[in-house]
Amino acid sequence: MPGHHPKPVYNARIQDMPLLRAYSFRAVCVWLLIVPAMLVSATDWRTPEAQLARKIAAGTGPGAVALTVTNRSFLSSSETDEVRRGLLTELASLGVHSIGEDQAAATVQVSLSENLQNYVWIAEIHVGNNEPSVVMVTGPRTEPAAEEHSTAPLTIHKALLWTDENRILDVALPTSSPSIMIVLEADSVGLYAVQNGRWQVQQTLAIAHANPWPRDLRGRLILKKDHLFDAYLPGVMCQSTAVAPLALHCRASDDPWPLAADPSPLNAFYAPARNFFTGVLSPGIQKQTATAPFYSAAALPRDKYTLWVFGATDGQIHLLDGMTDQAVAKLGWGSDLAGVRSGCGLGWQVLAASRDNDASDKVQAFEMADRQAVAASAPVEFGGSITALWADSDSTSVIAVAQNSETGRYEASRLSITCSR
Amino acid sequence: MKHRGFRLLAAGSLLLAIVAAAATRPHYGGTLHVCLRAAPTSLDPNQADFAGSHTLFGLVFDTLVKLDSQGRPRPSLASDWRAEPGNQRWHFSLRRGVTFSDGTPLTADMAATSLRVANPTWKVFSMEEAVIIERDSPAADLPAELALPRNSIAKRESGKVLGTGPFVVTEWDPGKKILATAREDYWGGRPFLDSIELELGKSFREQIVLFDLGKAQVIEIAPEQAHRAATEGRRVESSSPIELLALVFSRDPHSAADSKQREILGLSIDRRLLNSVVLQNGGEPAGGLLPGWMTGYEFLFPMEANLMRAQQERAEVPETGVWNLGFDGDDPIERVVAERIVLNARDAGLRLQLATGAADVRLARLPVASLDAQVALAELTAALGVPPTKINGGSVEDLYMAESGVLKSQRVIPLLHLRTAWAVSKTVRNWSAARDGAWRPPDVWLAAEQP
Repeated sequence: MPGHHPKPVYNARIQDMPLLRAYSFRAVCVWLLIVPAMLVSATDWRTPEAQLARKIAAGTGPGAVALTVTNRSFLSSSETDEVRRGLLTELASLGVHSIGEDQAAATVQVSLSENLQNYVWIAEIHVGNNEPSVVMVTGPRTEPAAEEHSTAPLTIHKALLWTDENRILDVALPTSSPSIMIVLEADSVGLYAVQNGRWQVQQTLAIAHANPWPRDLRGRLILKKDHLFDAYLPGVMCQSTAVAPLALHCRASDDPWPLAADPSPLNAFYAPARNFFTGVLSPGIQKQTATAPFYSAAALPRDKYTLWVFGATDGQIHLLDGMTDQAVAKLGWGSDLAGVRSGCGLGWQVLAASRDNDASDKVQAFEMADRQAVAASAPVEFGGSITALWADSDSTSVIAVAQNSETGRYEASRLSITCSR
Repeated sequence: MKHRGFRLLAAGSLLLAIVAAAATRPHYGGTLHVCLRAAPTSLDPNQADFAGSHTLFGLVFDTLVKLDSQGRPRPSLASDWRAEPGNQRWHFSLRRGVTFSDGTPLTADMAATSLRVANPTWKVFSMEEAVIIERDSPAADLPAELALPRNSIAKRESGKVLGTGPFVVTEWDPGKKILATAREDYWGGRPFLDSIELELGKSFREQIVLFDLGKAQVIEIAPEQAHRAATEGRRVESSSPIELLALVFSRDPHSAADSKQREILGLSIDRRLLNSVVLQNGGEPAGGLLPGWMTGYEFLFPMEANLMRAQQERAEVPETGVWNLGFDGDDPIERVVAERIVLNARDAGLRLQLATGAADVRLARLPVASLDAQVALAELTAALGVPPTKINGGSVEDLYMAESGVLKSQRVIPLLHLRTAWAVSKTVRNWSAARDGAWRPPDVWLAAEQP
């Protein structure tokens, strides 16, 4: 017994796996559309149906029974019908046929119930005047599939990439190798490859760190040209090697974290025992080398300058252009925002997280026209709290991680924008 | 691209954005003021047997294992574990880098010592960086059992009890007040709050006064008051129905007539009316000891009143004496429930009278101690004082058989499962109660202002 949650199956590495094979951007897009779809599978009730049918048949023996099915769970009516049909089929194969109660030798009341972890299907079997017998089977509960929303004028596409019980800090998909996915967690970096239509772990690289991680842990993956990636965590910087099998070298570090690469490279210092950036910038936005402590930042390149948008820890949004630091309050944005290059509208948009209620966050695209936030898309809903929102290394999409409020699992999604008109 | 479309959408969206509560990351700092009814006079986890003890002891102590929201064991001070074949001997590997609040590193020997104090009948010892536990019989649910507050790992020294938890007690007035300060070096990450101040032994009425005066930010709400508290504009958070309210007999049935009488009493009680009228839907009618959301099978146990059948069965038994019905006189709900039960029983031809002293049958309120159903059942039967249940396997069917056995003993008649409710200030963020009502203070943070 593994003790706690099942660990990912460790597959042997594919020999000479080409980590850095060149693929076109189109191929990347195709993969990103196909792979998440492959991860979603329909619920298969056949096993618990067969198990319950066997137990019922053992209680009634072959013959005619009156069967009723009652749903006491969150199954939909169509799923309930599906289970009922499957159960009747399985029973028929065992010589048990359902007829009206008047003619039946036994009555069977099936209840589709559930507990904290499983569906619990229960059959109460009444034969003659005997004491009713009760049999049960359990089946795993399924999780809802990811949703995609689209509304004019811009549309945010949300594609589920990966879910995990452990906190996911960031996910990177190398454009040069679309069949590879890198997942950053608190104590490891997972390297995944698509095999038989599913992501399968290829390597798990441990992250060495001397001090406890701060609560609300954050971390970021940056893809590199001369090696696969760098990982930034509070007080720790890790660098991968270039060729498979990869190695990961971590060291205590107060190096600033990259906020954006070209065309507007900027780094910022992260408070190692907290969950925010100190506000000190490197090399700075022209002459501006500091702003208020902030949680997140987005670059919006313009013709002659880059407008930087910072989500400050005091709840304000700070706009920096190299000359002025303008604070904007009451935008309703949350702490997390990221810049994305869509080519639509003004070319670059800010994706900002916000919340309507206590349970679920959403992300919406905004244009910064004349330094006013202008909503540019309908919000995309998440089934819980957003814990990370990072632009990917080339700013063409954003990685969003949310903790599902129902399941508690972390779900990493890729958000990209398309022009609706 | 037409910018007009952007602007039209912007107008509506920005209006919405202004009223929306932003999804902000947690802030560090501040003191959270909490009120509790419980008034523990000891901070030793050996005495962690009251409602809310999960949260209180979780401030200062950790367990080797914790349970997630679905009742599954997860690593805490133990990073991993395994059982030898037969599930009697278990190995728990200790997490590295954990210290007690005085800076002493946690060792496997210290963890083993702590568990021996809490469980004198267990054989517990250390082996390098692992804790080994040997039980007399198979214990498949041992990891879940280790998540109980009484199994918190403590260092007892010179009359002091220290833990490895996220807070350290800096002020302690037994039964009245605890001030707990965040540990910067906590292995799970420093809590967002600087400190938590707990006022103990406060009645529901006192708590709500303190809350409305702004002197407390988290208080307990009586189940029957939860709906009203919410309609009066307070933010009220409730658990799933978790606390068992039951009638518990002091002994086994001594005759067939006694047994029949207990059956009649169970049939006479209108649980739905108790819940809707007396408790203002602060719970759910109970047929089983464990709530249905935990087991999935509670509906199999009868919970509906059937007065006609109760009267018919009453006619078949000879005249009986009067049962004394005991209840907690300090609990206003128990008195009202007891009075209602006396009336229901009278309608069925039984005679019960209220008693605050010795009783034939008493009302009992028992928190379900674990989200693991098997551990919860074992703890419940122990708390009820009924003979321990033997669960023969790990399946839901095995659990059902064991619970059926307890109910067939007729020592207990489940009445309701009550919710645990809290009023929480709107400045308190990331406050979420698990289904069992426990909440995690290290994750809570305070916003500067209300949304």
